[in-house]
Amino acid sequence: MGRKFDVLKRRILMAPIRWLESKIQFETDYLPLKMEESRERVARTVETLRLRANRKLASSERNAGIASEAVLGMVQTAKLKVEKAYYWKRLAILKQRSDAYRKNRSLAELDETFAPRLHELETQRLSAIEQATIRLIPQESDPSAIEACDHLGRRVRSRLERNETMLWEEHDRHVVFWRQRFETRIALWKRLLAKLQSEASKLQGQTSPLETKIEPDAVLKLDQLSMHFGGLKAVDQLSFSVKRGEIFGLIGPNGAGKTTVFNCITRFYKATAGGLYYRGKDGDVVDLATKKVHDVIRLGIVRTFQNVEMVWELPILENLLVAAHTQYRTGFFGQLLATPKLKREEKLLRKKAMDVLEDLGLEVYANFYPLGLPYGILKKVELARTLMANPDLIILDEPAAGLNDTETEQLKEVIRKIRDEYQATIFLVEHDMGLVMDVCDTVCAISFGKRLAIGKPAEIQTNKAVREAYLGGE
Amino acid sequence: MDPRLRLRDQRKHQFQQIVHHPYFGFVLLGGLMLFVQLIQSLGVAIPVSIMRAFGLTMIYIVIGLGFAILLGYAGLASLGTAGFVGIGTYALGYLTNARGFSVGMVVFYSVLGAIILGVVVGFISLRIEGMYLAIITLGLSEILNEIFKNAVTITNGTNGLLMPQLVFFGTYYTVSNETVFAAIAVVLVLMMFFTFNIIKSPTGRAMLAMKNSESAAQAMGVSVLKYRLLAFIIATVFALVGGILYMSYIRYTIPTTWSLAFSLNLLAAVIVGGSRSIWGIVLGSFMIFGLDLAVFQRIIVTPDRNAAIAAFIERFPEHQEALRTFFVNLQQSLPVITYILNGLLIILVVMFYPGGLYQLVLTIKTKLVTAWKNAVRKWKVRRYGQEV
Repeated sequence: MGRKFDVLKRRILMAPIRWLESKIQFETDYLPLKMEESRERVARTVETLRLRANRKLASSERNAGIASEAVLGMVQTAKLKVEKAYYWKRLAILKQRSDAYRKNRSLAELDETFAPRLHELETQRLSAIEQATIRLIPQESDPSAIEACDHLGRRVRSRLERNETMLWEEHDRHVVFWRQRFETRIALWKRLLAKLQSEASKLQGQTSPLETKIEPDAVLKLDQLSMHFGGLKAVDQLSFSVKRGEIFGLIGPNGAGKTTVFNCITRFYKATAGGLYYRGKDGDVVDLATKKVHDVIRLGIVRTFQNVEMVWELPILENLLVAAHTQYRTGFFGQLLATPKLKREEKLLRKKAMDVLEDLGLEVYANFYPLGLPYGILKKVELARTLMANPDLIILDEPAAGLNDTETEQLKEVIRKIRDEYQATIFLVEHDMGLVMDVCDTVCAISFGKRLAIGKPAEIQTNKAVREAYLGGE
Repeated sequence: MDPRLRLRDQRKHQFQQIVHHPYFGFVLLGGLMLFVQLIQSLGVAIPVSIMRAFGLTMIYIVIGLGFAILLGYAGLASLGTAGFVGIGTYALGYLTNARGFSVGMVVFYSVLGAIILGVVVGFISLRIEGMYLAIITLGLSEILNEIFKNAVTITNGTNGLLMPQLVFFGTYYTVSNETVFAAIAVVLVLMMFFTFNIIKSPTGRAMLAMKNSESAAQAMGVSVLKYRLLAFIIATVFALVGGILYMSYIRYTIPTTWSLAFSLNLLAAVIVGGSRSIWGIVLGSFMIFGLDLAVFQRIIVTPDRNAAIAAFIERFPEHQEALRTFFVNLQQSLPVITYILNGLLIILVVMFYPGGLYQLVLTIKTKLVTAWKNAVRKWKVRRYGQEV
């Protein structure tokens, strides 16, 4: 009785622990983003203020004959404007010249008509530039104008400086305030988290009756699992366990019940009999039979499908965001009002999705719609989607189906990379024996829902029962 | 560096940011409607029927937006919208007239009721899909219609319910049509904001995932139960808000309005416009409802009321009588022509533009832009001998 109560208590404690962990993670990512946004906003305002001050000063500087940056810039703009207009005029004349040449006029005749026109245009251009710049830089300067310019400059600059420091100080105040608030809150949450965790860890271990059902180093355990469709025994008293951090392969002839096993694990099918146990990241054992289909991903179990299942009406990047569905912390009303928090959250997750895509070399496809993309790419996108969901156990249903040899070679690398970089256990079903034998640490062979053999790839290759199942008996 | 140039660039950038903001179009539409109402109130002679057409179309857009979330995003077909809109109208009519409820309270209770209704229909939708769900919701709508007809004490039966005045905080006010029109425009813009936010949010993506592949959605952690209920609740809330707006604007409701025809017209509006874009709904609603109200119902071809047609008949003295009868008959059959046109429109759109008329508009827009760019390039080559 006491043991049962302890398990319940731990399960009740784990919910706020997970919530707090995700909250702390989110707030830690969120704060620099908020500060950066504020800094950018202030920088933009300051630049506008500076430009306005320069514009204000420019006319008096021009009167005083001071060649400041702003005045020179204005001269440059005026010049460019003239140059641009005359560039097109010159082009038009040259076009007329080439048209005339095509009409078999002699070159001498052409020069006679067009050389003076071009010359005239050149003189016009020079005079126009001169006029435009003369208007801006007077030749001689007036001491009273210099005085006035100095006076105005001092006033404008001091005001600008004051405003700038005010803006930056305000920004700094905000940053300090946010940081303080963040730190006090984080400290509080961390204290609370530590308390809850210590409380929870006391209850961990032998207290759970499920603990005896699964080995300490295993992630997943199938215990006499059976799945019957009417009279058909698709899976028949199958049991094996998948160790943490390994690549586990499940093989068998067509119709052996491999996909049915996957569907049982991810709760698409309710198993007829037998147990399914899973040890999460926090070391707790979960009876998968008590979970719903859409809750499985929260435990860290993510799967792909035999035939790619995409959201065809969304681009690849947003397909990945669908997989991050459980990581959003903004509620429905926050989404309804598109709060800044949601926008920042979206920004963070989009960045994460982009990183995952870059990891798999898919970043070019980020804004493509999946419809019409090659099958190999879509398979990779499905892999990326599993990575997006913070996986602990990745279940791959025939990842190499429909891929050519090079793509399969790449896939091997990708699978190893995922195991090493994302610290995920991989459980796959595959018909491509080359891939299975190369990549897997442990292989389990099944036929008609029954286990034939389990062991290292080399052992399976030499196993007599497996050979018979694939190639037929004597 | 020229400060004037940089400031101009900054201003241009700011302007573009505002113009390209997705809310800009919604505000523009609402502002346009308010402007039309303003100039009409100031004395510009805009016919009342045109104003009425605009007002009703706006209400239908509100209802259509909710329906589009249900159909275009969650992928659930429903033919029960008319019943829900009807509930909205009767709720406002009965609660203000007979009970003296304030409008705010009516909206609150309606939203509450909408949530309950949405949950009920959502639970039905868990077991039934596609066409069968449409039939079930149709049945629900017909039940509601029968209730409207027979619960005489509340709905005044087939005679229809009249609501001359609105109640604000316990006091009866006669609110002018102009004010209600402005309120409709504001509510429309708000609803467009909400719809946009929903469809761009994780909720919208989850619904789309559910529509495309239920198993993938479930494997990604989307609870089908939750999002189906949510979709139905959103659609029902939008329908009820539409009903409340309708009742405050028209001040009269009658069961025959809320029949299957209304649901079908709404379905047509959403399909014709394009169920996955807000502007598509606006376009579709205008095509199906607005065009009929503002254009076809206003075409007058009777010879004694239209001078041009009378003059036309004068030119053929020998066929005068036949022509006269023809035009009189045409006038009588104009409403039927609307139905025929709508039907044709639906057939054409579904056959050639499954994405809706909005897709057509986008295609035409891109084609025009390309044509313009090409023309400019051609002109430049002819004049200057080179591109750029």
